Order: sequence, then structure tokens, then C-alpha cells
Amino acid sequence: MDPFALLGVPRRFDLDLGALEKTHRELSRALHPDRFASAGASERREALEKAASVNEAWRIVRDPIRRAEALFRLHGAEVGENKEPKATPAFLMEVLEERESLSDARSANDLATVAKLGAKMKGRAQAVEQKLTTAFSQEHPQIGALLPLLGEMRFYKRFLDEVAAIEEEAEEKAATS
Amino acid sequence: MSLLEIFDPKAPPKAIGIDLGTTNSLVAYVKNERPTTVLDCDQVALLPSVVHYGPGGEVVVGRNAQLRAAEHPRETIVSVKRFMGRGGDDPETKRLGPYAFLTPKEGEANVVRFAVGKKVVTPVEVSAEILRSLRRLAEDELRSVGGAVITVPAYFDDAQRQATKDAGRLAGLEVLRLLNEPTAAALAYGLEKKQNGKFAVYDLGGGTFDVTVLVLDDGVFQVRSTGGDSALGGDDMDRALAEEIFRGAGKDPAAATPGEVRVVLDLARQVKHGLTNADIVDLEGPFGAVSISRARFDELIQPILARTGVACRRALKDAELKAEELDGVILVGGSTRVPAVRAYVAKMFGKEPLGDIDPDQVVALGAAIQANILSGASSSDEVLLLDVIPLSLGIEVGGGVVDRILPRNTTTPAAARATYTTQEDKQTGFEIHVVQGERELAGDCRSLARFTLKGIPPMAAGMARLEVTFRVDADGLLSVNAKEERTGLEQTVSVKPSYGLDDETVEDMLLDAIDNGEADLAARKLAEVRVEASRVASSTRKSIVADADLLDDAEKAKIEAALAAIDASIAGTDARKIERGLDDLDHATKDFAGRRMNRAIANAIAGQSLTSVEQTVEHAKGIEEAHAARPIPPASPSGRTL
Repeated sequence: MDPFALLGVPRRFDLDLGALEKTHRELSRALHPDRFASAGASERREALEKAASVNEAWRIVRDPIRRAEALFRLHGAEVGENKEPKATPAFLMEVLEERESLSDARSANDLATVAKLGAKMKGRAQAVEQKLTTAFSQEHPQIGALLPLLGEMRFYKRFLDEVAAIEEEAEEKAATS
Repeated sequence: MSLLEIFDPKAPPKAIGIDLGTTNSLVAYVKNERPTTVLDCDQVALLPSVVHYGPGGEVVVGRNAQLRAAEHPRETIVSVKRFMGRGGDDPETKRLGPYAFLTPKEGEANVVRFAVGKKVVTPVEVSAEILRSLRRLAEDELRSVGGAVITVPAYFDDAQRQATKDAGRLAGLEVLRLLNEPTAAALAYGLEKKQNGKFAVYDLGGGTFDVTVLVLDDGVFQVRSTGGDSALGGDDMDRALAEEIFRGAGKDPAAATPGEVRVVLDLARQVKHGLTNADIVDLEGPFGAVSISRARFDELIQPILARTGVACRRALKDAELKAEELDGVILVGGSTRVPAVRAYVAKMFGKEPLGDIDPDQVVALGAAIQANILSGASSSDEVLLLDVIPLSLGIEVGGGVVDRILPRNTTTPAAARATYTTQEDKQTGFEIHVVQGERELAGDCRSLARFTLKGIPPMAAGMARLEVTFRVDADGLLSVNAKEERTGLEQTVSVKPSYGLDDETVEDMLLDAIDNGEADLAARKLAEVRVEASRVASSTRKSIVADADLLDDAEKAKIEAALAAIDASIAGTDARKIERGLDDLDHATKDFAGRRMNRAIANAIAGQSLTSVEQTVEHAKGIEEAHAARPIPPASPSGRTL
């Protein structure tokens, strides 16, 4: 399935998600099984199948990592953590340090540092998204050279999830005490 | 006021909405464009969800069953919803309660079994008794009931949903849809207030808690996230109070007799209800006087409120919204009458919650609206509900780890695929273990089903390619398909949960349950298939006119022949012949249906910039028509207490 084609948008990384949300809603209006409750079996089946595909396409396209993966796939690359090239030692080293800082800040209950590390990673993630935007607006993007960016994105996502989890934990403590 | 209602014998069967609650259940339908609850002979809408099994095999449901609970605690099932779709060994089944459980025999499904006198019943059968009572109540008023929407907690997992659907079938209902309770409530509110925006629904019932965050935009109710706890509710408040009463009397609740437990639980409920308006309640209990203040009660239920808070904050986070961005918070469920609950919700979301539609009735009213839409009786085609799956679905991979295929809060209907390979050389089968939940390890998640794909030719490890597809329909029910790509070997299972009943068992129960057995069942089947066939034929006729240009002459002739055959078979009495006609029509329209859907997609995308203009025009037209056709709603619609 080509989620971009299904939603009628170009294969780009930067997309107007607000407009796409509206497109998804209109497609749902046209295809949702509720619309075919009194139709025959063939229409009900087709509508269910298409509505599910449209939802899947929207789920892929709205998420930066899934969107990037889909773009790479459509350009013929194999994606997945085991199929992509390994991260460089330099990146791994740096990553390890940031993780340690986060874990230290967590143990020390230092929420300010947690927030600072989060902001830093968010900036990095945005820089990667910028690179993908530029690359996928070209006719023939250099897929091989770009592929390691996927691993970076996943790392930033996990890091930011962890930041959110720490902040949530602190909020829970504050809310229940 | 007219007391005499004119009865039209040819009136089409009416679709109903049912709120199958932990404590109370009720049924509603749309009457003159307004949802209305059905009242019983005592003019009461709420049917207590209590079923009593008498010594002579008689079954009593509702208030009369409730009256027998204290004397026959084991034979009277209260709050059966908490046992739906659960295994007999589930910790929930062992909590404070007066029941006698039977462990399943070898080879029997692992479902809860209550020993009630000489009989053994499952939660599905007990729930079906409640649904049957509601169906009869609706039939008394409507004569003919055509299809039902039954509500379930949004947080119900696949097994609990499937059990609810089985109960509906067992009660002789055509289940049009399972609808999430908070979404149903939002539908009732949304149509009442006609206001776009972002809303949270806080639904604390007798035994379940849901929170749903949704966006309402021009008739589309899009659920962003849902969270909750399918074992948390007013019952837990009763239990907390009951334990306090036992403690106050210096008694150990674990050593109490089933009768004492029942009496104290009922007393606890009275105390809770009393404390809604009073600061202190004094009652005479089985062990002497009981006096509990609201302050003490609030203290006792703090842990329950805190648990709802955790779910609310997570739902907001999943919806990527802050509490202050919400336009409103809707209260649903009888337990939101408790002042401490209201105060807690107001503080957490930073705004006064809306509770102006009776929180006990709002879910059934919403279900009635959805039933009316699905049965094609609604004049409005603007309304659409886009719901989500509440808990992630995945399969177990190496090391007992869960590979998530559909994450929680994915919009339904949903589909997703994942590809796997063999771990060992010459492996000829895959065991597929389907689980639901958020934990990393399969053992910590809910096990939904296990099946094996066998007969793969021996290959080297890593050579086979198994594609697993998950599909979730609009009821939130999952089916799984597994296919080995090299050999084309394929297997599909609709997930009949590990804790469920298979189709045959349900069919057998259905036969047992109907008064005149097979003859009755056949008559009902014929009536149902006739309605279905005429519905399908009329909808197909509309399609071939609307998209005539998508058909060539040969295809059109084939479809028309199939339609003519259906018309002829409807006049007869052979249900199977009608079914065969429907199958033929299905074949004849298969490609046409595909082309129609593709056109619908193209139109939706291409017309999107245009539709904004068209819609404004349509909308204006719609308003005029609505003014002409609709009666002006009364200020205080019947069936609702403010």
C-alpha cells in the first residue's frame, strides 16, 4: 500500500497534517462501515477494507518515523532495525553519554536537567526532520546516505518517551500527595 | 395529550439502543427524532442488572430479583458484567462476593461458571437474561424490534466485547453494533448541544471506569484516545464502605456468610446514596447501628479516585492535549453523582463538568441514536462516530516479548501487517499467540487466542516468511490472518477468545433458551433474513442507479437477475433460498462494489476543496428542511430527568 497515493498527497516528508486530518475525515465519511450498514455484503466488505486502509495510511503518514519509513520503502530501501546500516560509533558514544545524564538526573530527581535534556533531543529530532524534508523534496533522494537517520529518529523518540515518563511519574507523585 | 397511540401494523421494526450496565440496564429508541428511554409498568427506566435463578428453574430479572438477593445470595447474580469475558481463575472472580463458582471440566472453555441451585450458568447467559428482559420491554412498546446497538465500556478488551455480542445473540437480538459507552454519551450530548470542540467523557459506572477524549467537528465524533479500568467503579466504593462497616462491628469480612456479605453490601450502597445529599448517614445494620460521615466516605474512596486520575492524565497525553484545551467534560455513570467524584473531576480538568443529561440514561440515549442511524431510519447522514481500540494488540515473539501490531488508540476499522520468519531449521509450523495489553511481556498481557499455522515445507531458519494481518472491525473485534508467503499457505481466525464460548455452544444455548425451540428459531431466522434481503436489494438498486456508468451491460444484467431472484424468494418461506440469492447478488456485485469504493475515495479527495463550498450550501438547505420536517423539541424532553 502506498499511503501517500491513497490519501492523494505527494511523497514528501513535510505535509500539511491539518489538511490531511480533514482529508482523512472526509474519506471516513465516505467509507466508514456505518455508511454501509444496510448495503449488500460486497459493498460492506469493500467499505470495511478501504476504511481500514485509509486509517492505516493516516496512521503512517501522521507519525514522523512511520512516514519516513514509508518514504524509504517506496524508494526501494529495506527498513527495520536489523536491516538498516549500523549507527556510527561516534553517534553511539554520544548517545550513551546523554542516556547516562538522563538516568543521573532521574535518580537525583533533577527535573530541570531532565527538561533540558529533553529540549536538546527535541532540537536534534527536528534537525533530522529538516534533513528528511529537504531530501524527500528532491526528485532522486540519496537513500543510502539518509538511511541512518531512521535509527537516529527512533533513538530520539525513545529518549523523549523516557523524558515524558519521568515527568509523568513526578506529576503522579505531585497529584496523589 | 393523547393517551391513545395509533398502532401501524406495517410499521417497520425499530432499532433499539441498550446500555447493559453493571448495576442497571436500560433500553431506548428514537421516537419522533428524539431518543427516549422505555419505561416499565411502574414507569421506571432502570432495570437492575440482577438475575435470580429460582429452585423450580424460573428466572427473575430486575427489582424482583434484587429483593431475593439477601435471602438467596448464591442464586442471585449481581454485577455480572464484571465477570464477562473473564477466566474462572481471574483474580477478579475471587473478590468479595457471595457466589459459588465451579471450575471448568477438562475440555470446557475457561469461563466463569456460577452454581445457582441445580443449574450452572455463565456470565454470557446471565447477561442474556437481562437483555431478553429489555427486549421484551421494548417489544411491549414497539411491537417489533429490529436490531440493537449494545454499549460496552470503551476499555473492554476483545474477550469482553465478544462475550457481550454473544449475550446479545443469545437474547435473540440482531446486534447491529457494539458501541463504546463514552462515545454513546458524547453522541447524546453532541447532538443536544450542537457545539464543536474537544471533550473528555468521564464515565464511572457501577463496575467500570472509562475516560475518552474526543473531537467533535461538524457531526464527526472522532475519538482521540481512551483509557480506563474495566474493574473499577461504584461497586468498589460499596466494598470499601462494607469493609468499614464490618470493621466497625469488629467482624472479619472474610469470615462472613454470603448472606451477611450481601446485606452489608446493600447497606453500604444505601449509605453511599444517602451521602450524596447528607453529611452523615445513620442506619440500623445487622450488627447494630452504623454511622458514617461524608468526610469519612470521601477518605475511603480516595484510592479509587486516584486510579481514575491516572487514566485521565494518560488519556490526555495520548490525545496530545492539555486539560485547559478541553471545551468541556461530560459526566456519565451513576457513580458520578457522588459529590467527591464531581469535585475531583472539576479539580483535575480545571472546569465544572457537564451533567445535565441524566448520567444513568445518557449512554442508552446515545445508543438509540446510533441504532437509528445504522438502521437507516435517521434523516441525518452528517453524524459519524470514529472510535479507537483501547488496548494494543500484538503477538508473542521470541523470548516471550510482545510485538505490537496495532497500538492502542488506533482508529477503527483498522488493519496492520507484520512479517516474521522461522527461528529454527526445518521448522514446519508457527505458533501464533495473540495478546492484548500494554506490557512488554506476553505473560503480563491478556491472552486472546492461540493458533498454529502448520504444513510449511522444511526450510533453513530465516527462510520462511510469515505475514500476519490484524483486522479490527467497527465493533472493536479482532480477526487475525496468517500467511506463509513462499507456499501461499494461509489461515484466518476470527479471534474467539481463549476465555470465550465457541459458536456451537452459543447456538446450543440459543436453542435451549427459546421457548419453542427449533420451530421458533426457524421462524425468527426467516423473518430476519427477509428484512435483510429487502434492505440489501433496495440499497443495491440505489447503487446501480447512482453509479450506472461503472457497469457494463452484462454485469448489469447479472445483478438485475440476482435482484429479481431475491424478490421472488422473499415472497416464499425458504430462508435458505433467500440466503443463496444474497450470495449470488454478492458475487454479481463484487467488482462493481470495488469500483464504487474507489470512486468514493477519489471524490472525497478531489472534492475536498470543493466540498467546503458545497457543504455550506447543503447545510443551509438542510436547516430549511429540518425546520419544515422536525417538530420543535420540548424544553424538557420526556424520558430525562434534569
